[in-house]
Amino acid sequence: MSEEIKIIERKEIPKGAVMIFGFPDVGLVGVIAASHLILELGLEEVAYVDSRLLPPVIVLHEGLPHSTIRIFGNHQILLAVSETALREDLIYPIMHALIDWGRSKGVKMMISLSGIPVQDRQDLDELKVFAAASSPEMLKMVQDKGLEVLREGYMVGPQAVMLQYCATLGVPALTLLAQCFFNYPDPEAAAKALEQLTSFTGVKVDVSKLLEKGEEIRLKARDMMKRTQQELAKMRKTQEYDIPLYIS
Amino acid sequence: MSEYSRRRRSIFDIIDEYFESLEAWAERVRETIMERPSWNCRTCTMEPLRDIMVTADEVIVTVDLPYAEQNTIEVKPISKDTIEISAKMRRKISFDDFGITHHRGEFQRFHCQTRIPVPVYMDRMEIRFKRGILEIRLPRKHEYEIPVE
Repeated sequence: MSEEIKIIERKEIPKGAVMIFGFPDVGLVGVIAASHLILELGLEEVAYVDSRLLPPVIVLHEGLPHSTIRIFGNHQILLAVSETALREDLIYPIMHALIDWGRSKGVKMMISLSGIPVQDRQDLDELKVFAAASSPEMLKMVQDKGLEVLREGYMVGPQAVMLQYCATLGVPALTLLAQCFFNYPDPEAAAKALEQLTSFTGVKVDVSKLLEKGEEIRLKARDMMKRTQQELAKMRKTQEYDIPLYIS
Repeated sequence: MSEYSRRRRSIFDIIDEYFESLEAWAERVRETIMERPSWNCRTCTMEPLRDIMVTADEVIVTVDLPYAEQNTIEVKPISKDTIEISAKMRRKISFDDFGITHHRGEFQRFHCQTRIPVPVYMDRMEIRFKRGILEIRLPRKHEYEIPVE
């Protein structure tokens, strides 16, 4: 693990869990989904990231300081979530440190939750969830579960680093991407991603409250979305719209 | 060393790089100057998230308006290149609703002004509101054309 990034454990970490990532990205799909998972499953903070590479920002909850990047969990899942948009230059070191830490805890699978922006999103009644996987075996698993595979294209952001690093290490991993707004918080997309997550983790999550509170979440998430937009522009997120030149 | 790698950068590459670095600098300055809260306690308003897309024929502005009452949405041109958007919320929102106790204030409206980056026909504006997203379409004004010979 990187010397510059420490993961401080606050509780005993279960072995053989599934590790999930919910980081600020398009539509804030990952963060909204992660926040709902924490509430719905009553997950506790089990570890947090400490690093001088991070901006001098903490988040206060009930008057007490917390790292902006924390890991929540129970005996089945570990959930890494960030409450601020990750700066482009921090994505590699942070994701590598989290994945190395997860491996040291015998994590059996890593899943990142995110979105894939779609034009005229407000006209879509049914949102699709796409998946990308770290290995042919994981890809088969995705197809067996009836999910559509993201066959060709670019992926930009924490989930891209996660997938590539897990492929290199031979850790089973996949990214679930729900169709969403690019620039607006999208609780409906987060609910769709969570529905698909169940088939890979076995952990059932009721998304009805998430859908009921959709407007409230959109209002609360405005500032985080605004900051995330700035970081997405810097990491050239719009490259995901590009048509790749296929090189076999 | 290959012919390709020995080739010097063209003047166009250097100009491109210069403009890219200038854009990045302008963006940093803009972020610093424009940083302000997304709410205003004096006017009891919140600033909504918005986005602008320029196509060949029109400019499409979208605005995220959760809790907005559809019949209170107003879109007004306030100059030839700026529109003002406001909408009343169905309920009052206070800082307490967000768990914040170190600020006081209640919000009842969304309000923002948006600059349109190219000339448009303000009088031919089309508006729709769906899933809490306001969409404003403005046909572009092509004031002159350069003939292709």
